[in-house]
Amino acid sequence: MSVLASPRDAMPRRAGSPRGIRHGEALAGWLFTLPVLLILGVFLLVPVLMALWVSFSDWSGRGSPLSSGVGFVGLDNYAAVTTGGGLAERDFGIAMRNNAWYVLLVVPLQTGLALFLAVLVNRAVLRGRGVFRTAFYFPSVTSSVAITVLWLFLFSTSGVVNAILARVGIAGPNWFNDPSGVLHNLLGALGVRSGPEALTQHGFLGVSWWDWLAGPSVAMSAFVVMAIFTTSGTFMLLFIAGLQNIGPDIDEAAMMDGANAWQRFWRITLPQLRPTLFTVLTLGLIGCWQVFDQIYTGTQGGPGKTTLTPAYLSYRSAFLSQDWGQGAAIAFILFVIIVLLTILQRWILRERPDVRRRPRRGPRKLTGGNGPGVVEAGAGGPAGGPASEPSAKEDAR
Amino acid sequence: MTRPSSRKLVGAGALLVAGALALTACGGSGFDEPAEEEAGGLTSSDDALSVLIGSSGDAETDAVTDAVAAWSEESGVTAEVQVASDLPQQLSQGFAAGTPADLFYLAPEAIAGYADNGSLQPYGDLLANKDDFYPSLVENFTVDGTFYCAPKDFSTLGLVINTQLWADAGLTDADIPTTWDELATVAKTLTTDDQVGLSFGAEYQRVGAFMAQAGGGLVVDGEPVADSEGSVEGLDYVQTHLKDGTFAYSSDLGAGWGGEALGKELAAMVVEGNWITGAMSADFPDVEYTVAQLPAGPAGQGTLQFTNCWGMAADSPNQEAALDLVEYLTSTEQQLAFSEAFGPMPSIQSAAADWMSANPDLGAFLDGAAYAQFPPNWAGAADVITDLNAQLESLETGNPQEILETAQSNLEAIAE
Amino acid sequence: MNRTARRLPRRTLAWQVALYGLLILLALVYVYPFLVQLATSLKTEADAAADPVSLVPNPLTWAAYGRLFLRSDFPVWFANSAVVTVLVTTGRVFFDSLAGYALARLRFRGRGVVYAALVAVMAVPTVVLLIPKFLVINQLGIYDSYAGMVLPLLVDAAGVFIMKNFFESIPASVEEQARIDGAGTFRIFWSVVLPMARPALVTIVILSFQGSWNELSHFIVAAQSPELTTLTKGVASLASGQLSQGSQYPIKLAAAAIMTIPVAVVFFVFQRRIMNTSEGAVKE
Repeated sequence: MSVLASPRDAMPRRAGSPRGIRHGEALAGWLFTLPVLLILGVFLLVPVLMALWVSFSDWSGRGSPLSSGVGFVGLDNYAAVTTGGGLAERDFGIAMRNNAWYVLLVVPLQTGLALFLAVLVNRAVLRGRGVFRTAFYFPSVTSSVAITVLWLFLFSTSGVVNAILARVGIAGPNWFNDPSGVLHNLLGALGVRSGPEALTQHGFLGVSWWDWLAGPSVAMSAFVVMAIFTTSGTFMLLFIAGLQNIGPDIDEAAMMDGANAWQRFWRITLPQLRPTLFTVLTLGLIGCWQVFDQIYTGTQGGPGKTTLTPAYLSYRSAFLSQDWGQGAAIAFILFVIIVLLTILQRWILRERPDVRRRPRRGPRKLTGGNGPGVVEAGAGGPAGGPASEPSAKEDAR
Repeated sequence: MTRPSSRKLVGAGALLVAGALALTACGGSGFDEPAEEEAGGLTSSDDALSVLIGSSGDAETDAVTDAVAAWSEESGVTAEVQVASDLPQQLSQGFAAGTPADLFYLAPEAIAGYADNGSLQPYGDLLANKDDFYPSLVENFTVDGTFYCAPKDFSTLGLVINTQLWADAGLTDADIPTTWDELATVAKTLTTDDQVGLSFGAEYQRVGAFMAQAGGGLVVDGEPVADSEGSVEGLDYVQTHLKDGTFAYSSDLGAGWGGEALGKELAAMVVEGNWITGAMSADFPDVEYTVAQLPAGPAGQGTLQFTNCWGMAADSPNQEAALDLVEYLTSTEQQLAFSEAFGPMPSIQSAAADWMSANPDLGAFLDGAAYAQFPPNWAGAADVITDLNAQLESLETGNPQEILETAQSNLEAIAE
Repeated sequence: MNRTARRLPRRTLAWQVALYGLLILLALVYVYPFLVQLATSLKTEADAAADPVSLVPNPLTWAAYGRLFLRSDFPVWFANSAVVTVLVTTGRVFFDSLAGYALARLRFRGRGVVYAALVAVMAVPTVVLLIPKFLVINQLGIYDSYAGMVLPLLVDAAGVFIMKNFFESIPASVEEQARIDGAGTFRIFWSVVLPMARPALVTIVILSFQGSWNELSHFIVAAQSPELTTLTKGVASLASGQLSQGSQYPIKLAAAAIMTIPVAVVFFVFQRRIMNTSEGAVKE
């Protein structure tokens, strides 16, 4: 061991030399991170590489995909689901259609509702706010499987929802058995029952434009409601944390200027919530493209394939239809879509130079934030965007 | 974060190496080499057998478990029955893992896929009782001319009638419909505010019977005929009566399947198979019913038959014992015991007479065997049927011709 | 608070009433489904179908629970979920804080790379991993075993970040003192820093508990034996009618209700922590 003291380390030490400590620290650093690296490497990185190989191979689900009998087929699997012209392409198109509508409805609605709840609950004069927060957040902690089971009952033909609708004189639909598209139904009510040639004769991914415009099916709508019900609580907490970070001074100044509550919200509160908004939208977007649990538990893609999602289709192709290559290909297309959308959204919500921004109160949030708010700090802060695993999973419900 | 990129590469490389090491170090354990093959192409060893079944309930589980235990006793080979919670998924994971069950329930629509990737051991021709199976069942489990596995039993669709509701409507045994017109008439008579005349699931597996009665089907004699005149006529008939409210899909009545619609008296008649008997006595013991053959359509009588076989894994180390177990399980005695326990009919012709005398009320199901069609068993056929079912759900407002044309083109695409 | 209250003009009283009315209505909408779940689990199937809205079972029966616990695999599912959850939670608390500490405090070559790798890992959507995870678990020979079910869940990148952020927020002087006293790195971590990290550890416990108790897709691909079925998988198969035909809503809802209880207990025990994300900040 060297006895040379480095200039940096002026502090006297009783045991060990500085270099020894530095060396020990490096070793400890690697040792401390090793379990995490090993597990994530073996169960995340390696799987992704292996699946990438499967998506380019003709592996049929027997024995090892790395064995010599498995051939490289290039982009065949990707072609089959995107341009193949067969059932595989149409199924993928239908799944994309279903999920796109799901995202289009769930993301804005859950964000809006969460923000609305946060603003309501965050009012300083509110009594019993703990009770309300608990009520709104509780659905978020329960399992997606349990909620789906509950939803199947609530939305069954003679279930709670229809019983309540019947009391106000509405004959409810046969929710989870109704494959008709909501938009098509609206058009049908206006007398439009079939689309113009231009829309029915042409299409994308094996699905005609008219069918793309069907809207979510009635069955999917029930899942949309469920997603909003289960995620609004989590996001409400994130917004509350964001709101409390803003502080009352600017708001009070604006109040002096005579701005009403509505104006203050839009002009002052909302712009300052931009970082939280970004986190919520990103988490929502990522979660909504991964709908799997509720489909597996509830409808298995039915009725009429209208609750089929790319995630479930990927599972089904691989595990049930033995098309492992296509299943993996669908998973990677989904991956790319999620990444692209996250980047796009980031770009849309990017900081513009003229926007006034208060410095973040990082330290307070980190020390005081022991709940899911910290996840936001973890995911939205240093990571700069990508979702944390548990939260993303949460809204996958 | 601003380190030179070469270090990142090294880091990533280290991860990869670690992962690869982990894989090669343990790689062998996941994929056992098959045991040595003996003469006759079957493996033999001292290994215990595992039997994977998809059970309809406790009755079936108990019956199969007891039968397998009895065989174990007799043969001295240990065997264990596992009930799958999701059979297709567990099968495919088992094959991919190289550790499938030795024997398992296998549906005709799944056989081609597994036969293609070599997961199945064909053994049909080795069966001692090979010639006793109904020929149409053997055809069900024949892929590219190879008879893969022994049909374990079978069921057909019949017309199941709630006798109380039937009598309440003033109908007698003489009114039991034998033609489409008569069926439409009684369905109309039986339809009230609280119930429909006839109900069945929104799927080819029920509606297909009407296609068969009109001379159509999905695949007949190896040719796709989904958009034939007969098929369209069958769907037209169903659509007409879905529209006039005398027929209804069970899901539209709030029932999970036809049996539930019958038991809850949401429908006076349903199109269901043998399995309904067990469910009725378990869930709705007070509901009286009778079973008739499905009425004839323009092209005569028609129904669908459903069956599973005892699939055998190519990776099984003890196929000879498995074959012996299959012969035991498909024997007359065992099949009659299964039938009594959970409803299906024996797959061998020599058991027919015994079954008829044991189940005089259910004869209509066995009569159906004479003219039953079966769903195609081509690779990819399951997806085609799923797609067709998706469209059948909206048959009431759909166009039968277009629905069937889609099915036809999908079938042609997989017809090699 | 009082200051604001005093400033309230009289006409906003109406607004206050409306606000409470709205909040109570919303809270009812959020809570009612769970009450229905509980009530229906105690109903007969006929009652559940005839009067789904009512919260009073008539007649009240425990038959659904009896069926679940006495004549099904439900107890096995419950036990498996409990074992997996405890193992995963313990593992995550230990490994996440270990790595988080290293990233926050220890200087070592490659720290930036490790950090970047973790960020990248967090961007991978879990559903994409469904097929590949099965392939690797299978290749490693731990398919259909507790190892296959637990190991891949044993760490999570998000947890590492939470711990890292926390460790960065506590002053380094504490450790310096221990280091001067000659304590080793692990010793400092274990007996000095970790005890201070309780609030963050509670967060990890909550997230891991909830995450692994509610996990479904991983268990689908990691195991197949009935002995290794977890609650999520078991109840999902109940729901899709793989075990029995017919609706049988009381049984399914009873299963869902029991499944909700442990998470609910954890939720209410740690409720203040979850809810008061930064409430303290306002009161300060």
